[in-house]
Amino acid sequence: MKAYLAFCKKELVESWRTYRLVIMLAVFVLFGILSPATAKLLPKLLDGADMGGGVIIHMPTPTALDAWTQFFKNVGQMGMLVVVIVFCGIIATELNRGTLINVLTKGMRRSTVILAKFTVAAAIWAVSYLVCLGVTYCYTAYYWPGKALPHAALAFVAPWVFGLLLIALLILGGVCFKSLYGSLLTTGGVIVVMNLAGLIPQSAKYNPVTLSAGTLELLTKAKAPSDFIPALAICLALTAALIVASVLLFNHKQL
Amino acid sequence: MDVLSIQHLAKSFGNTSVLRDVSLSVSESSVFGFIGANGAGKTTTMKIALGLLRADGGEVSICGEHMRFGMTATNRHVGYLPDVPEFYNYLRPKEYLRLCGQIAGLDEATIKHRSSELIELVGLHGVKKKIGGFSRGMKQRLGVAQALINEPRLLICDEPTSALDPLGRKETLGLLRQISGKTTVVFSTHVLSDVERICDRIAVLAGGTIALEGTLAELKTRHQADGLQIEFASEADLERFCAGVPERILRKSERANTELTLHVRDLAAAQRASLQLLSAEDILPVRFELLEPNIEDLFLEAVA
Repeated sequence: MKAYLAFCKKELVESWRTYRLVIMLAVFVLFGILSPATAKLLPKLLDGADMGGGVIIHMPTPTALDAWTQFFKNVGQMGMLVVVIVFCGIIATELNRGTLINVLTKGMRRSTVILAKFTVAAAIWAVSYLVCLGVTYCYTAYYWPGKALPHAALAFVAPWVFGLLLIALLILGGVCFKSLYGSLLTTGGVIVVMNLAGLIPQSAKYNPVTLSAGTLELLTKAKAPSDFIPALAICLALTAALIVASVLLFNHKQL
Repeated sequence: MDVLSIQHLAKSFGNTSVLRDVSLSVSESSVFGFIGANGAGKTTTMKIALGLLRADGGEVSICGEHMRFGMTATNRHVGYLPDVPEFYNYLRPKEYLRLCGQIAGLDEATIKHRSSELIELVGLHGVKKKIGGFSRGMKQRLGVAQALINEPRLLICDEPTSALDPLGRKETLGLLRQISGKTTVVFSTHVLSDVERICDRIAVLAGGTIALEGTLAELKTRHQADGLQIEFASEADLERFCAGVPERILRKSERANTELTLHVRDLAAAQRASLQLLSAEDILPVRFELLEPNIEDLFLEAVA
C-alpha cells in the first residue's frame, strides 16, 4: 500500500511538472466555456444571415439543451481525443526509457505500477471532466435558469466511464507494445471496431462507444436509462478486464 | 551463506544462445567482478537475477530465497545500478531518493536520514537542480545512492564505469570500495583495470559459461607464470648471458634492447640455472623478475 501511494504521488508530481494536468484542465475548462457560449452566440451570429438567392437563415431561440448538446459533442469527440493524446505515453514511455527498472528492483510489485498509473490517470480525467461539467453547468444555469435535467447523473457519468475505457486501452497497448504507436493503434483499433459494431442497430444498447456522446438522448428523454445501463456495465467490466489483462501481461513482460 | 547463487542458468534470444550453463556463487562482504566481452551475457545474467528477464533454465537464489521471474520479493535484499541509470528527470535528487525509499518500504525518518547520508556519500550535497540537468557522472552517482537507499545486502552494478571519464571512474570505484564493507558488491565490467583495483573475486563469462572463477591470487597461482624477465646493464651482458643459457630449459626467448624475456618449461629449474649463469659470468642484472600473469592474460586465455 505504501509503495502504491508513493507511486501515485510520483504520478501526480509527474502530471504537474510535465504539464499533463495543466493541459487537461485548460482544455476541459475551454470546452466547459465553449459549450454554452457556442449555444448562446452561434444563433445570434447566424440569425438573419443572407445565404444568397433569397435564402435567409432564421435560428430558433437557444435553450439549455443546445448548450448540453455542444457539451456532449465537445467532450465526446475532441475531449476523448485529448484524453488519448495526453495519456498515450503513460506506460510506453516508462518502458521505453527504462525508468521503471530502478523502482521495480526496489521490490515494488509490477501490478502496483499498473494500478497506480490507472488510478492517477482516472483521477485527472475525473477532475478535468468535473471542471468542464461544472463550468458548463454554471454558464448554462446563468443563461437559461430553471429546468432540472432528467437522468442527469447517468448522462454525465457515462462519458467519464468511456474515458476510463480509453485509459485502460492505452495502458494495455503500452504494456503489449512498449511504444506510443502501439498504445495509439490498440486504442484506435478497438474504437474503430466498436464504431463498426455500432452500424448494427441492435448492438447500440451494449456498445460502450454510445456512452461517449450518446447519453444526450437521456436529457432529451428520447431514450430511457435502461437503454444505456447494459453499455455502461459492459464498459466498466471491459475496463476492469483490460486492467487485469495489463497486470497479467506486465507480470510476464521481460524488461 | 552465499548472498547470490546462480545454478546452471541458460538463456536464449531467438536462435542466439547467450547463456548456456552459468553457475556461480557470491559470498557475503566481497567485491565480485563479473567479467566478459561485450555481448557475453553479463547484463542478461544480472537481469535474470533481478527477475527482469526470464531464464530458459537454471535457478537463482538471493540471500537463500529462490528468485522467481516477474516477482520482486527477493529484490528487497538487492540494490541495482544499471549501466545507464534512467531517472524521472522532473524530480530532484532528494525527491527521487524519497520515492525509492518509500517504494522499498522504509519509514519517513529512515528515508530522511539515509537520503542525507547517501547524498553526502555520492557528493551531491547541495545540488538542488532537477535530475534532467545532471551530467552523466552525476547520474551515475545518484544511481549508486538510489541502489543503496534500502541498505541492500547485495549491490549489483552493471558496468558502472564504462561510460565515465577517468575522474568519474575513480570516484565510482572509490564509492564501491567504500561500501563493500557493509554490502556485497557484484559488478560487471570489461574494464580489467577496474577489476584489479577493487575486486576480491572474479568470474569470467565466455561462450555462455563461467570460463574462470576465483580470487585474483588463486587465478594467478593456478595460471602459473612461465616466464622470466631480465634486464641487463648493457647489450654485451645480454649477449654473454644468451650464449650460456642451456637450450633444454627454454621454450622461447624474446629480446628488446637490453631486456630478455624467457619462456621456459620448468620455472624453478630455469630460475636456478639463470642465477647460476649470472653468477658464473659475473653479470649484475638491473632487474630480474618472474612474469606473473596479469588479469588481461587471464581474461584473454579464458575467452580464447
